[in-house]
Amino acid sequence: MSAVAEGTTPLGRLAEAAATLAGGEVAHARRRAALDRLLALGLPGPRDDAWKYSNLRLLGRRDLAPATARPVAADALAMLPARDGTTVVFLDGRFQPSMSTAVLARGLSVTPLAAVLAAKLPPALEARLGAGDGIDERIRLLNAALLVDGAHLSVAPDGAPDQQIHVVHLATGGGAYPRLAVTLAPGASARLIEYHLTPGDAETLAAPVADIELGVGARLEHYAITLAGAHAIELQDVSVRVAADATYRHRHLGLGGQLARLDLRVRLEGEGASTQLSGLLLAEQSRQIDVRTVVEHVAPRTTSDQVYRGVGKDRGRGSYDGKVVVHKGAMKADSRQSSKNLLLSPGASLDSRPQLEINADDVKCSHGATTGALDEQMLFYLLARGLDRDIARALLTFAFAEDVIAKITLPALRRFAEERVLGSLPAAPLIREFIA
Amino acid sequence: MTDTNQSELLLEIKDLAAEVQGRKVLDGLNLEVRAGEVHAIMGPNGAGKSTLAQLLAGRSTYKVTRGEVRYRGADLLSLAPEERARRGLFLGFQYPVEIPGVNNVYLLKAALNARRREQGLPEVDAFEFLGLVRDKMRLMQMDDSFLSRGVNEGFSGGEKKRNEILQMTVLEPTLAILDETDSGLDIDALKVVANGVNSLKRADRAIVLVTHYQRLLEHIIPDRVHVLAAGRILKSGDKSLALELERRGYDWVRHEASAA
Repeated sequence: MSAVAEGTTPLGRLAEAAATLAGGEVAHARRRAALDRLLALGLPGPRDDAWKYSNLRLLGRRDLAPATARPVAADALAMLPARDGTTVVFLDGRFQPSMSTAVLARGLSVTPLAAVLAAKLPPALEARLGAGDGIDERIRLLNAALLVDGAHLSVAPDGAPDQQIHVVHLATGGGAYPRLAVTLAPGASARLIEYHLTPGDAETLAAPVADIELGVGARLEHYAITLAGAHAIELQDVSVRVAADATYRHRHLGLGGQLARLDLRVRLEGEGASTQLSGLLLAEQSRQIDVRTVVEHVAPRTTSDQVYRGVGKDRGRGSYDGKVVVHKGAMKADSRQSSKNLLLSPGASLDSRPQLEINADDVKCSHGATTGALDEQMLFYLLARGLDRDIARALLTFAFAEDVIAKITLPALRRFAEERVLGSLPAAPLIREFIA
Repeated sequence: MTDTNQSELLLEIKDLAAEVQGRKVLDGLNLEVRAGEVHAIMGPNGAGKSTLAQLLAGRSTYKVTRGEVRYRGADLLSLAPEERARRGLFLGFQYPVEIPGVNNVYLLKAALNARRREQGLPEVDAFEFLGLVRDKMRLMQMDDSFLSRGVNEGFSGGEKKRNEILQMTVLEPTLAILDETDSGLDIDALKVVANGVNSLKRADRAIVLVTHYQRLLEHIIPDRVHVLAAGRILKSGDKSLALELERRGYDWVRHEASAA
């Protein structure tokens, strides 16, 4: 192990924590390999261009060791919208059978990882537990170095179509490093809804990593809803491979956390594969929300569409860094990126950086980014109809967020998101009826 | 026009000058509008017609450098735009903006109730309001889908203009200023819009039509016609002036004014 001053730096404390984890020699060796590499690379820092907004100095002196699950109130999930289908709960990164659905929908299998990590795994699964395939190796290494549990979710070809799989991450203090592997068989379809909560509002670090594979013609609608408290650091890393004619949708709602970051990589590997990504970054109080996406058009006739909206209030900060890469041979690729930021307070700050890298001919790519205050023409229109200025401003703020909220296809979740956004607007009771 | 001199003076503009980003757009404009009257303000492109309409409604992009505007005796320029609307001043926009996510009908209901509160009237409830708005929608030949859509969201140019007039018929303003309401309408839509405007003519209300062409005035007969050019009213007359402008254009008015 490297000569890092253990116990003082976040990395040093991570190394100490990793050494104490149980799970046998195989699991230990797997973690140690990841840790050694991470110690060599170091954690992302402010000089790292892609991390210049996400301030990891916040890790400070907080406890990063994988938490031993504390008991949570039985109604910890009561705040969530109604859930049909399957619910899988992770408490501080560990699968909780007692809080999860016992009987699964047709064609769905859920394999907790804790039990299998001790053994040598088939190479295909082993590869998915490592550091490869993400945008940033380091967050995956962090997860791999402290990996104690996770799940492999698999939907068979004859699985109940569009079934809902709710994955709830509860963090009560310390570190949580769950790993999800998700496999949709050819033709399968599902909705995966991930919630991130910190009941008790403790200081937490969560680095959940997901590795997703869609077979030919499969469809996945993936929601990531961040509701963590004001002392939560969350570093999500999601990597997706999409086969021919399959469709992957990612709907991100950044509504919580102290520092909440999402790194999302989508590779369109089969002809006709498509992806639609959207996110609402509600950066209020002293919250920092960062989203980085990399969409790769590998095969011909692949399409991607990204819609990100940031709302900055108080001293909130946020960023969208979206890169589209069209590989050689991906002719007729079609890609769109739209990023708009709305600044409601002088102390808030939001950044947008859409980027394109095109290595093929005959492609259609567009991107646009704006940052500003409320639309003056819209505001005047509402005022000229006699609306109070406060109401008009709140309505337009809501309407701005609605660009993204409208993409939520689950009615209960959509109402939940609308209420959350309304809850942060000053004139909420007055504008509620406008959106009924 | 002799009898209307007894009716209330709704709008009184004296020597109004305004600029936008340092550029003079109005320069010594005078105008009086009394209750019961229909006025048409015509003029070439860039004459300041839309500036006048937006300025009266309270658009802050225009800076008044001289003169005064009184609306029903009050200093209009000191009122916020929402206050002007509640007191019965209505602007029908030339380019109504799309506001996705804000429901068309809820906006209209809120607008009506803001106006009713100002008048000391009880607010209308949802049921009562729906009945009212459906009646007006029939008049404007609009189908029910307008009820569920966002404000002007995905509306064609003609639908947007109809929506403006629908709002006007529901809000029943005291002074309606309609900015190029006829532009972009085919002849059938023009008739529907004119019909809506005519349904509002009343002894205690005035309508100001800002228009580039005479054709709207075949359907809504004005009492007074004004030529606005170079930032002021150069000539006023009765409806025959509109026909003369249609025939001769605007240049002769300018020459006449500069000769005077």
